[in-house]
Amino acid sequence: MSQRLPQWELTLIVLTLAAAAWSATLSPYYLSVGQILYSTRQFVYPGILSIGLAVVVILSEIDISLASTLAFGGVLFSKFSAFGVPIWLAVPSVVAACAALGTLNGVLVARMNLPSLAVTLGTMGAFRGLAFIIGSETGYTSFDDSYLFIGSEKLFGALPVSFLLFLALAIAIGALMRWTVFGRRCYAVGRNKEAAWAAGIDVARIKIEAYALAGGLAGLAALVWIGQYGSARGDNADGAILFVVTAVVLGGVDINGGRGGILGVVLALFLLGTMRNGMGLANIGGPTQTIVLGALLIVGVLRPAIFRAVRRLYRLLTPRPPTHRPRGGPRSQSDYDRRTQGQTRKFAHMTRRNT
Amino acid sequence: MTLRPKLLAGACTLAAIGLAVSGALAKDSGFKIMMTPKWTGFPYFEAAARGGKDAADELGDTFVYAGADHADVSLQVETLQNFLTQKPDAITLAAIDLNAVAPVLKEARKDGIVVTTFDADAAQDARDMFVNQMSYKQAAKTMLDCALMDSPDGGEVAFVAASPTAPNHTAHIKFMKEYIANDPKYQVFKVVDTQYANDDDAKSYDVAVNLMQAHPNLKVIISSSAVSAPAGARAVEASGHAGKVYSTGFALPDAIKTYIKDGSEKCFALWNPYELGYLAVYATHLKLAGKLDPKPGTTFKAGKVGEYTVGDGGEIVYGKPLMWTKDTVDKSPF
Repeated sequence: MSQRLPQWELTLIVLTLAAAAWSATLSPYYLSVGQILYSTRQFVYPGILSIGLAVVVILSEIDISLASTLAFGGVLFSKFSAFGVPIWLAVPSVVAACAALGTLNGVLVARMNLPSLAVTLGTMGAFRGLAFIIGSETGYTSFDDSYLFIGSEKLFGALPVSFLLFLALAIAIGALMRWTVFGRRCYAVGRNKEAAWAAGIDVARIKIEAYALAGGLAGLAALVWIGQYGSARGDNADGAILFVVTAVVLGGVDINGGRGGILGVVLALFLLGTMRNGMGLANIGGPTQTIVLGALLIVGVLRPAIFRAVRRLYRLLTPRPPTHRPRGGPRSQSDYDRRTQGQTRKFAHMTRRNT
Repeated sequence: MTLRPKLLAGACTLAAIGLAVSGALAKDSGFKIMMTPKWTGFPYFEAAARGGKDAADELGDTFVYAGADHADVSLQVETLQNFLTQKPDAITLAAIDLNAVAPVLKEARKDGIVVTTFDADAAQDARDMFVNQMSYKQAAKTMLDCALMDSPDGGEVAFVAASPTAPNHTAHIKFMKEYIANDPKYQVFKVVDTQYANDDDAKSYDVAVNLMQAHPNLKVIISSSAVSAPAGARAVEASGHAGKVYSTGFALPDAIKTYIKDGSEKCFALWNPYELGYLAVYATHLKLAGKLDPKPGTTFKAGKVGEYTVGDGGEIVYGKPLMWTKDTVDKSPF
């Protein structure tokens, strides 16, 4: 993998700056450090879910049950608070419980070989049902203050604690994916499951671990939720998964797995957050906002095609010596070389580890 | 002793200046009032916004209406947070989740912003006033009256609510059950089922179809969701139950016009959302201008929509049901 900042991440930074400039012209209230910092709390909980989902998507799977896992975590926190459990015990317990739900997803997907979209569609309903059963119908609001600290406090009058938690998690998971054996194996499995298996990677186990990680992160997102909204109820974060998937796809994580990284997802969240903040402050109507965000998502999905088109255009415009190969005819040796070279490059990160 | 009158005169002048200053401080117009609905684009809330705008124009206030295009509480809180940044004098909203909006609304009140809820309330300590369309009892009675027009001999009824957590829907169902149990007029009915459809059109349709399959003797499906009631009417017609099963409850006239005209449905109900929005903004303005103290028993006149009395907990009940029948469905006032 190249060490310089990849093209798409750079594009996202430029787009975010452009969106910020645009927002400043839209609303006189936008351009203030305090305002911008404080607005970050709006995408912290979907952001934490996105980081977890990104790991699963890199493995070429999907998890749409994460918002339901968050709701489960939220009502679990409310029960712990009601029974007076100290926060230092409640957080690891809820994270573990949510990771257990993730593990269940992982086992169904990886050990039973079931399609992940179908499995997590099912558990999306099941986990939310569980949240409704555990939680009361009216919701819980009498949280102990220690439970609310992360999600509600801000430092220096503007910097949300939850945003710091998000950054810390993003850096940790980013490092995990980039510099550890676990991360490299995730990319290997995502690109070519069979090859990864042949290379001795326990594909099923790594998938289960990824689902557990995403579930555990949803538990932390639940901690942010209860602080931010001061309440927990079975229907919390219902419908949030669309935004989460948008951030992952727009962040350059290939929906077919194996490509993309956490940095891109974080930058995509900054872009989406900036756009929503600016349009919100300008009181732009909901439908317009949805159209703009939807257009961004389409750009994210079409990104490879757009890049290909740009490259082709570039090639057409720059004269090169013509290479002739009859249609359907035998492939030349140089063609073969080019392809194998590509494969060698693709698996360079694995071979590097073996040497 | 000659000093006395001078001192007195001085005191009078000071008092006069003081009065003039306080008079100038208590503004009477030019307030910035911001409104957010549960979600934008729905004709019901658009009518409420028109009402709010008209009241603001009449009173010389600035009116801003904004929100997300679907009912998502985190988006609503984001909208409210954006409102706060713009430092309005007042915020009016229809709350999606009464507790989840509370922290941001309390923050607003701390900044001296007047908070009025309409259509759906927030936690009581998070707002100044709640403009309720109808008391829960009145709403329950209105829907049962409609059900009686559909099926004068009574029979089995089923309820469809948004979710077990929707406070108004669950309260309506509770009172309808009480009326059916205790009021001789409604004892002809028998409650057989309650289902949840999340204010979603497709889900409501499926729920209605399932209800008709599960209860062959079902007579009326009642829903206080303005999404579920028309979807129920569509399901009744599509599944060939017209004339045998009726759907009723609260609905916008445009959504049920065809069914009432072709005779497959006889009655739906609502209130005037335009006047509801107007009343919410008008009461908010009076509070800002220091002309309304929302304590129980206070009466006030809200421009063209009439006189109202503040009830317990700062609740103002609008309370004028509209029934949509063959004769009235074309004469919608909004």
